[in-house]
Amino acid sequence: MEFDMSEAEQLRQAIAAGEVDAFLVGKDDKDKRVLLLAGAYQRYRQLVEQMQQGAITCSVHGDILYANQRFAEMLGTPMAQLYAAPLEGYVSSPDRARLSSFLLVSARNSTIDIAFTRRDGTLMPARLELVNFADGYASILVTRLAQLQWARAAEDALNLMRGSVETLNRAGLADAQAKRAVDTLAREINALSKLLDEIGSSAT
Amino acid sequence: MSTTEKKRNGQETDEVWELRLYTAGQTPKSIAALANLKRICEEHLHGKYKIEVVDLMANPRLAKEHQIVAIPTLVKKLPQPLRQIIGDLSDKERALVGLQLRQIDR
Repeated sequence: MEFDMSEAEQLRQAIAAGEVDAFLVGKDDKDKRVLLLAGAYQRYRQLVEQMQQGAITCSVHGDILYANQRFAEMLGTPMAQLYAAPLEGYVSSPDRARLSSFLLVSARNSTIDIAFTRRDGTLMPARLELVNFADGYASILVTRLAQLQWARAAEDALNLMRGSVETLNRAGLADAQAKRAVDTLAREINALSKLLDEIGSSAT
Repeated sequence: MSTTEKKRNGQETDEVWELRLYTAGQTPKSIAALANLKRICEEHLHGKYKIEVVDLMANPRLAKEHQIVAIPTLVKKLPQPLRQIIGDLSDKERALVGLQLRQIDR
């Protein structure tokens, strides 16, 4: 059987292996231009290909120069469609102006909460964090907001429970049955915390 | 190597392979792609090839004929079918498979 690798997969592999160092971007022939990548960005891309979080690199004009596989999965969009496409095309209309401002300002560690429009038409709330900006390229991490909010709420609840256990321990429980109950509660908190970490690392 | 494969390689025909390499000036990957392509052609096509280098840095509109996204990209124009290989061709096996100079079973 002849090998028939899809162009998108071929593109993904070439980028992950650091075999390309430029992209052709622009909406039409008149607008086409070549954007060069620096060596540091190629190494960055190899790293983010293995991440569980969405990662994109954009020009200040909002062209997607790179997106990892996870980001494509989040949007339910083939990777090949993302390259060199304007990011705003995947953002809900009300959020587009804020996204443009976010990219133009390009302040490191700045965040913005926006809604992406997935391929099936559903909205996906997400937090964008600009982790690096250099030579006209913005490196952005994308986290699904619902998961982020849920994880934070769960972490807050666990911290409250931990505080209660510490308070009870400090009070010096004399009753053996009460001590056992507190110990059991402490173990369950640890188990829940571990579970939360696992869910966070696999679902973000 | 089978007869079909030899024919595909241009070893039993006078068919000249027409290859177009899209580059972005003198970037390291563009230079590497051209060097790797020449090596592959010499080893497998034995002089029966033409390489056209198209510098998109000088004129990005020259990519109009093919859907180029990443650079370097090699396009095999002839023999048909038209194929694209993205990257600097440093992965020789992938390049040979992409050019249909080598088949793999799976």
